[in-house]
Amino acid sequence: MTRMDEQIREAARQLLESSKVSAVIGYELAAQGKVRPIIVEKTEDIGRLVWNEDCNLNLVNYLHQRKTPTGKDQPMPKTALVLRPCDVRSINLLITEQQIKRENIKIIGLQCAGTRINNKPSITCSFCMERTPVDYDVLIESDTPVEIPSDANGFKDIEEMENWTAEEQLAFWTEEFDRCIRCYACRQACPGCYCFECVAEQVDPHWTSIAMEVPEKMFFHVMRAYHLAGRCVLCGACEAACPMNIPLSKLNRKIAKDILETFGYKTGDDANTAPFLACFDSNERLKVEPSCHF
Amino acid sequence: MAESFEPKIVSFLCNWCSYAGADLAGTSRIEYPQNIRIIRVPCSGRVDPLFVLKAFIDGADGVMVLGCHPGDCHYQQGNYYAQRRYSVMQKLLDFIGVESDRLLIDWVSASEGKRFAEVVSNFTYRIKEIGHLTIKQDARKIDTNLEKVTA
Repeated sequence: MTRMDEQIREAARQLLESSKVSAVIGYELAAQGKVRPIIVEKTEDIGRLVWNEDCNLNLVNYLHQRKTPTGKDQPMPKTALVLRPCDVRSINLLITEQQIKRENIKIIGLQCAGTRINNKPSITCSFCMERTPVDYDVLIESDTPVEIPSDANGFKDIEEMENWTAEEQLAFWTEEFDRCIRCYACRQACPGCYCFECVAEQVDPHWTSIAMEVPEKMFFHVMRAYHLAGRCVLCGACEAACPMNIPLSKLNRKIAKDILETFGYKTGDDANTAPFLACFDSNERLKVEPSCHF
Repeated sequence: MAESFEPKIVSFLCNWCSYAGADLAGTSRIEYPQNIRIIRVPCSGRVDPLFVLKAFIDGADGVMVLGCHPGDCHYQQGNYYAQRRYSVMQKLLDFIGVESDRLLIDWVSASEGKRFAEVVSNFTYRIKEIGHLTIKQDARKIDTNLEKVTA
């Protein structure tokens, strides 16, 4: 048991015993040295909570099943979550979108030095520039140093890909999307993807067929990336959930980069800013025409 | 690209300005390329970026979204929303290999029949330069690869 585990269990015990929350969502050890999410509701289960660098999911996703059903007037059960800095941003996202209320949430925030996917450092984490959450109720200090290297560049790989020719880009994504099996695990793992009916499965209007072809898969992934424009917190849960190892977060990080450069907007900085695409500034004149010769 | 390449261009025109502008171009007998397929929408803010994405995926070589000039929107704000959406969408499409020049968002008012014809001509000319968009073709290539494997 590491010192982080101890701190998490201590925080969970205090919250559960004082009845400040009815459940703590965290990770426990599973078979083959892996980890899996666990919802701790009884104090005797607190000892199962762990944290290590394989905890690469976004547990905020589990709040959606605890939300009040539409039309019912009961508050959401109070919940504590063990969250990385990126995950905390999705808490802020869901508050801005009026899905949850901050008073029903206790954040056990982690100082995070990055997580791994299949024993390899996750792409999102290796470019992550954040070590301490923007908001927390309890802060779990890391056992290992969490400094950001001074030469870190949050979007280095994206900048490289932007310089490719269109043919190279299309060939790259065609190859990646060709592997997609349309299991929609990326969507299910995403705390931002909570539509009742997803475009991918909608029948009226019938946006896209169920064919296992690259154009259909490309439609799905680009659509999903676009729907998360200004909403994605770059937690990398989609990539962690993908059974085919498609670098999905590249699409999200491309959008995040553009929005940061053009508008200085970063998702989840606070719980008051309106979602980026749901507002505008009437003085802005964006350069969206093509570079061609008028 | 062969001389005979005629691009397919989907254009979303807002009912209040650009569609009327296109109408004026027509009644004024101004000639413009016949490559565009016009879809009338209530406002440029009505054009869901999925419309654009689906057009590209289904074989369009270019997509234009034309609306009222900023400040002139019939619904006050629709074109401001559209402007933000497509500034993001254009860069995303550019990233997956759909050149940013293939998506045009511009403002054409009801009195700008001549300008409408110019915008359409310039855009069509540019798409002819870039050439055909090959998302669908790649799929066919994969199909043939699959046939080779399963044969």
